[in-house]
Amino acid sequence: MLGQSASDSEFKERLIANVKKEVKQIMEESVTKKFVHEDSSTVVSLCGAVEACLSQGLRRRALGLFKTSSTTALLHKISSNCIEAAYVSKKVQDIEAADPSKRSSSSSDSIIKPPILTKKSSSNSVSGTSTTSPNPNVGGQVFKYMWIRIALYEKKLARIIDHLVSNANRYYDKDSLVADPDYGSILSSLLVGPCALDYSRAKTQDYFWSDPSANELVQRHIIPSQTTPQASRRPMLNIKRMHTSSDDSGISTYKNNSPASTAKDYVESLHQNSRATLLYGKNNVLVHPKDVAEPMPGYLSLHQSIQYLIIKWTPNQLMNGYNDQSLPSSAGSTDNVDKSFYWAYVLNINVDDIVYVHCHQNRSSEETSGTIILVGHDGVQRPPIHFPEGGHMASFLSCLETGLLPHGQLDPPLWSQKGIGRIFPWPVKSRRRVGGLPSVLENNDEMPIDYVFRVVNKSNPEEFLATHPIMDVGRTSPYRPHLSSCSTNESSDCSSKSISLDLAENPIVTQVNQTTSIALVCTTMKRQIISRAFYGWLAYCRHLSTVRTHLSGLVNGRITPDIGAESGLTEERWKDLHDENGVVNLESEVYRLVYFGGVAQEIRKEVWPYLLGHYTFGQTPEERADLDENTRHYYETTMSEWLAVEAIVRQLDKEKTAHAVAKLSSGGSASDSKVKNGVDIDVQLENEVFEENGFSDLSDPEVEDDEKDSTKIPKVDSLPVDFDLEVKNEPKTINLEPSQPGGESMKSSPSTSSYETVGTDFVDCPMSPKLNPTAVIVTDASIDVVNMMAMEINEEKNNDKTNLETLHEEKMPSAQNSLDALQEPKSACVSPASSNGGIYSSELLDQFGLNLHRIEKDVQRCDRNYWYFANENLDKLRNVITTYVYEHLEIGYMQGMCDILAPLLVIFDDESISYGCFCRLMERMIENFPNGCAMDMHFANMRSLIQILDSEMYDLMHAHGDYTHFYFCYRWFLLDFKRELLYTDVFAVWECIWAAKHVSSSHFVLFLALALLENYRDIILSNSMDFTDIIKFFNEMAERHNVPQVLKTARNLALQLQTLIENK
Amino acid sequence: MATRKKVLLKVIILGDSSVGKTSLMNQYVNKRFSNQYKATIGADFLTKEVVVDDRVVTMQIWDTAGQERFQSLGVAFYRGADCCVLVFDTTAPNTFKNLDSWRDEFLIQASPRNPEHFPFVVLGNKIDLENRAVSSKRAQQWCQSKNDIPYFETSAKEGINVDLAFQTIAKNALAQETEDMETGGFPNITLNPEPNTRQNQNDCSC
Repeated sequence: MLGQSASDSEFKERLIANVKKEVKQIMEESVTKKFVHEDSSTVVSLCGAVEACLSQGLRRRALGLFKTSSTTALLHKISSNCIEAAYVSKKVQDIEAADPSKRSSSSSDSIIKPPILTKKSSSNSVSGTSTTSPNPNVGGQVFKYMWIRIALYEKKLARIIDHLVSNANRYYDKDSLVADPDYGSILSSLLVGPCALDYSRAKTQDYFWSDPSANELVQRHIIPSQTTPQASRRPMLNIKRMHTSSDDSGISTYKNNSPASTAKDYVESLHQNSRATLLYGKNNVLVHPKDVAEPMPGYLSLHQSIQYLIIKWTPNQLMNGYNDQSLPSSAGSTDNVDKSFYWAYVLNINVDDIVYVHCHQNRSSEETSGTIILVGHDGVQRPPIHFPEGGHMASFLSCLETGLLPHGQLDPPLWSQKGIGRIFPWPVKSRRRVGGLPSVLENNDEMPIDYVFRVVNKSNPEEFLATHPIMDVGRTSPYRPHLSSCSTNESSDCSSKSISLDLAENPIVTQVNQTTSIALVCTTMKRQIISRAFYGWLAYCRHLSTVRTHLSGLVNGRITPDIGAESGLTEERWKDLHDENGVVNLESEVYRLVYFGGVAQEIRKEVWPYLLGHYTFGQTPEERADLDENTRHYYETTMSEWLAVEAIVRQLDKEKTAHAVAKLSSGGSASDSKVKNGVDIDVQLENEVFEENGFSDLSDPEVEDDEKDSTKIPKVDSLPVDFDLEVKNEPKTINLEPSQPGGESMKSSPSTSSYETVGTDFVDCPMSPKLNPTAVIVTDASIDVVNMMAMEINEEKNNDKTNLETLHEEKMPSAQNSLDALQEPKSACVSPASSNGGIYSSELLDQFGLNLHRIEKDVQRCDRNYWYFANENLDKLRNVITTYVYEHLEIGYMQGMCDILAPLLVIFDDESISYGCFCRLMERMIENFPNGCAMDMHFANMRSLIQILDSEMYDLMHAHGDYTHFYFCYRWFLLDFKRELLYTDVFAVWECIWAAKHVSSSHFVLFLALALLENYRDIILSNSMDFTDIIKFFNEMAERHNVPQVLKTARNLALQLQTLIENK
Repeated sequence: MATRKKVLLKVIILGDSSVGKTSLMNQYVNKRFSNQYKATIGADFLTKEVVVDDRVVTMQIWDTAGQERFQSLGVAFYRGADCCVLVFDTTAPNTFKNLDSWRDEFLIQASPRNPEHFPFVVLGNKIDLENRAVSSKRAQQWCQSKNDIPYFETSAKEGINVDLAFQTIAKNALAQETEDMETGGFPNITLNPEPNTRQNQNDCSC
């Protein structure tokens, strides 16, 4: 007996431990995933554990009529005494009623499939329960424990169990777990936690935070797409802006079927979702409800669902406040004392009910604020909506108008103005004025402008179609080619209508003459058809005009055929393109071949300078050779310039490093002593800003800095990046003294003049070495390395122009040699002949030194895993970059320049021509860098393009507001996809971009970016990736793209847009 | 105990170029060091699940471009950060000097609710190198002056102190996160029946 009870308590202990474990699991899940999915395996296992506890020691007799020991029966039994149980019991019965097939099994056991379960969950649940479920049931594990689950979701489980425990003697054996004074209460209190969690079906991503790798995502995608290749895929080019049908949408996974509309849900429903497109949203829009003294700020939004266009306004208190509600309460209920009364002010207006839109606009300047009053069919005015300044009213109206299309419109329509967008009809006086609002008219300073728009709604097109068989004729007729790409219902309606117009006229018009009655019918129908067709056509045209205005600049008007260009520019073809004098004239043919098929690797070296504009078509070989020569010359001259500067910078650096190291070794004691004494000039200088904060007794180092600058003319102190101030007061450092008093007369002129003489061919290379007119002479006596090159430099500097010319002439034959010399690592680099000194402004030294360090850091890290840069070729990279930066010191070095240069260097393997081409390339690329404005433009264009070419993707991006900036494209555009692709692919993509300028689009990068998105669109959509997901995805996919495919897609996309625009 | 709504900790790594931001991140997340990293362009992030105070949290570590010119990009990435890691190179004094501006810039761009107490962590990286130029003392003094920022000397190459540093980062980020939720007016509901000792935020005293 004793042993029996011991094993009994052991068993109970196990049961409780099981529940404990499951509770812990579920709490953990709620923490890691932010929510617990209703179909999560942990829920099933928890329910299993609870069921096991409840079944143990259940008295059959207590259940009376129920034949089995089912806990479901127990629930129904206690429902008369326990409110919560009654509630849950009702729900269970409801579900059974809704799905009668489950009824038979439900009363006998709890194996019930709640209809809410999705198929997806089954795999999860099975794997989860098999280990934990104490009494596994055959095959039905997924659908088990329905009442426990429902009680859990409804957060009533703990109370039901509490009830059972307190009334245990009625239903349970004396030695059962539930009846046990300890275990019983433990069980009910354990479940308090899980009952407080939120269970959700809304988000189906179980892997929400577990971040599957890009690879996994691609794999996942491949598996289903093999069986149904792109089954759900919609045609890409959607002319219709708004995606209104949600059923076929890949993002319908968001769908929240939950009937309970909580406050939070309400606010979330204001976001873009699959059921309704958010057309407009603006916060802090004032609305003045009738019984409130002050206008209230709130969030105004415009939603378009399949049937309705709805204007919503929600007070800020509700927008911000839903978080405060501890447990979600029903939207309309008054659970929450503080906030609930605001629900009364919420506006929810169906535009169908609105007949007039009154606008009052104060036009004092360009910035306008305005008020809109909506008047319903019943003549009742809705509360006035005040828009803040900044054209918000206009944009709201514009969105409203867009939303009404194509079945409704504003009358009169807003004016569409190129470039600016829609504006108000003008002049004002011809429009109807609104009386009865004198308050607005009182502001005589600011001329008030009032409009009334009528909202014209037409009947549902589907009904219309059903009753008008003629429309079907129109529907089945072939669309015009460019219209066939329309895919959403609305747009295809438009097209069919525009054709039915013709059909209506031809066969029917003949009938009119025969019979008058038929004629009458036909005329009526015709009129209807024509008017409908007209409006549809108008909407379509208007939309296309928007498309054109925004995007026509992106592509070239002329479409180039790709016939015979697939194989690209082969060596043979390239040879054929040269005439007998070695001149290439067929410019367009070259571009066309390159665009559609790329360049053969062997001739890239020859073709690229043409593509980049370094060579021009039609140049003779001699001219090209001259150009090369000049380029080399210019390059070498510039390089020798900066090498001289570099030598000075380096020397200063060396001194400072030595000094700093010396300081550091004694640093500990020095700073200690400083702490004690507070005045130690050395330390004070060296420590500079760093210790400023800790020691208030020190004077402001910045001020100090300035003082020194003004007193000491040869300012070298701030030039090297790493070490700032300490040099100047040190006797040990470089002697800075003007050694050539006469030298200043030359100032910086020699260097600039040398650019001029050589640089005449460099039309597009800005020659602006920023030399400070107040240049100072820096002589570095400590450098004793004298080198031929350095001598040349100094001669160039000190001799007049003619001398310089001859020098260059002499240098040319040995140009290659000296070039090689230049390619030597910097140890062998020249330093200016110290005795002569150079003339450099401190500013120049300063800037150049800073850039040198930056370049160094990045060159070292640039593609060192690529074979070409595994050796001293990195020095070539460094030389070209430094030359470019030296020429553009006002811009300076920016991260990414190395990446842009590297592929050129790989192809040319020659510094000067790489430099020439790099300059050309950078003309376009520099705008992408932070000081240019091209990046934002790219982002904006991407947005428009996606909107036009892939509305589904656009909807997704719209839903995640963060997409607005498209930062995941940043690196793509900055480096022309260089980091995204392998080297061989970079070559192919780059030449395609260059050629595209002359073939399809000078913004081809946009189409490449779109193509990348399109290639993975199904993955992106099915995982409804947000901003961060997509950044991660593409970072992981770098260098793994199928480039031929991407290029093909990009060309097709460009062609699509060209076609679209060409067809007006 | 507060509600456990958000457990994604967003951590931003800032610092001059080539101080080792990418290396630190990769060393921590992937336990790998490579000398093949290129200069970061744009931004990237890695995630790692860690246990802090018995809680499993996901750290989303954002690696950014080091050149100050690209800071304007930051706004999009800094938003919602829970902790900011400032990295400098112990062999390059200038990278240390720039910590000030990195910190200021971050506070301006991310505009956290409580800038005074926003958790920063400072890492002095590359201590495996010989030519050290910033003393621990100096770094510590700076950190002390900035509201006692925890300071670690790390080597991404050798993996020295990296785990420890990021553990502190996670802890401080979590504390920040929790604080945010409390000040955000979330009611406290007891969810977990198991007692869970909330550790008070305590900066590492390294």
